[in-house]
Amino acid sequence: MRNKSVVNEARDIQIAIDLINLGARLQLLQEETSLSRERLLKLYKEVKGESPSKGMLPYSTDWFMSWLPNIHSSLFMGIYQFMQKNAGISGVEALIKSYRLYLEQAEIPTEGEPTLSITRAWFLVRFFEAGMMQLTRCKECGGQFVVHTHELCEDYRCGICRPPSRAGKTKKAAGVESAVV
Amino acid sequence: MNINQIQDEVREINLSYMMLAQQMIRSDKASAIFRLGISDELADLIDGLSPAQMLKMAGGNMLLCRFRFDEQLLLNLVTDYNKDRMMSQTHAAILMAGQPVEALAA
Repeated sequence: MRNKSVVNEARDIQIAIDLINLGARLQLLQEETSLSRERLLKLYKEVKGESPSKGMLPYSTDWFMSWLPNIHSSLFMGIYQFMQKNAGISGVEALIKSYRLYLEQAEIPTEGEPTLSITRAWFLVRFFEAGMMQLTRCKECGGQFVVHTHELCEDYRCGICRPPSRAGKTKKAAGVESAVV
Repeated sequence: MNINQIQDEVREINLSYMMLAQQMIRSDKASAIFRLGISDELADLIDGLSPAQMLKMAGGNMLLCRFRFDEQLLLNLVTDYNKDRMMSQTHAAILMAGQPVEALAA
């Protein structure tokens, strides 16, 4: 771990900068690079101009199951697996590239946070690696969607083919709609 | 539009398409593979084409790129204006990510 290669360090710093710009939390940077906490902290302040947010990471697997998060995480995971399979990249490189492509495809409104943060995307990848979650095929559209492993999904229909009755009717969405009218 | 005009347009699109594809592959190969929906091998091949080879390829009267939406469902999704537009785009992207890439025949 403590092997001091300047080239590796430069690579780690570049990865850390990319991750910080995508909105990663400090804990994620510590896991994915071999830089010390102090250096990462300094780097974070330099890139973002503010201290990183503190507190626990969002580690719930249930978040990925609610309607909109499930659609966004399925999109991200689809891209991630595509990149692993077809582009031959893995690890943190695959995470960064897939997340950028996700932002591009998901049409996030200019102001406002993307539904799936990079930290959550990273957790999602780890949950998949740990075998806690998997993709399953929607019987109607054939798309791959995120579900818990061993969930009963013989007859799975995705959230877009069969949206729940209250889907997308959040306070925020209502505000946007009334502004348009 | 007569036949000559159509062929001119086809050649123009061929050249733009090939140049764009090569640029995308050279700037970021992994992302280009996703955006273009092609295999790693095919990407390497396009990357290695010389300008003369590209011109020669693009000079034919046959269109070089083709529809990726070759499924009824996908086509319906992308063209359906009745549904919420953002979701149909996202849905199409999910389906596209699950599709096999365009690869060189063995």
